[in-house]
Amino acid sequence: MVDKLVTDIGGEPAGAVPQEDRDQLFWEKQMIAAFNLLQVKGVVVTDEFRRTVEEMPAEYYANSTFYGRRLDGMIRLLIEKGVLDADTFDKRAQEILAAGTRDHV
Amino acid sequence: MSEPTASYSVGDRVRILDIGKPGHVRTPTYVRHKTGTIERFCGLFENPEDKAYGRWGLPPIPLYRVQFRQDDIWPDYDGAPGDVLEIEIYDHWLAPAGEDS
Repeated sequence: MVDKLVTDIGGEPAGAVPQEDRDQLFWEKQMIAAFNLLQVKGVVVTDEFRRTVEEMPAEYYANSTFYGRRLDGMIRLLIEKGVLDADTFDKRAQEILAAGTRDHV
Repeated sequence: MSEPTASYSVGDRVRILDIGKPGHVRTPTYVRHKTGTIERFCGLFENPEDKAYGRWGLPPIPLYRVQFRQDDIWPDYDGAPGDVLEIEIYDHWLAPAGEDS
């Protein structure tokens, strides 16, 4: 018996489904656009992306969001494929955080 | 390499296997070991279990839509008696109902 995937939650107790009505943030639109382009160009495959999400630790997965998972999965996949360099990515992320110019809207 | 063809027909009773495959699979645990009916043959598709790891997923494999009675899946199901659930399952996760795995 193989462990259940973190996404394999059918039939588990869930309670009420939270309803949140809000606009899509700019970075979310930008990220989905980049994701779609990477698929159209054949750089990433949907099944690979799903697999990277499934590889997240269960607690991390449970505490993340729809867009957060997609961003994390995409970054991991691009590093895995050598499109992004992990050190370069970390350095750039730290620079943005330090500069305080992180764009959330 | 010959392409597989459909091995089940609409109306066939099938059991979902638990093939114990780690990694990316598309057969949720709640249908494993359950018995349902082939509702349609969806076509041949590149195997997502291979494509998830950078392979081509060839040759394409048969995909079926399988229909289950809700109360066959959920022992405490309290909806209408005729309610069904349909899910698409790849050929290698299926066995004829009644046969041992």
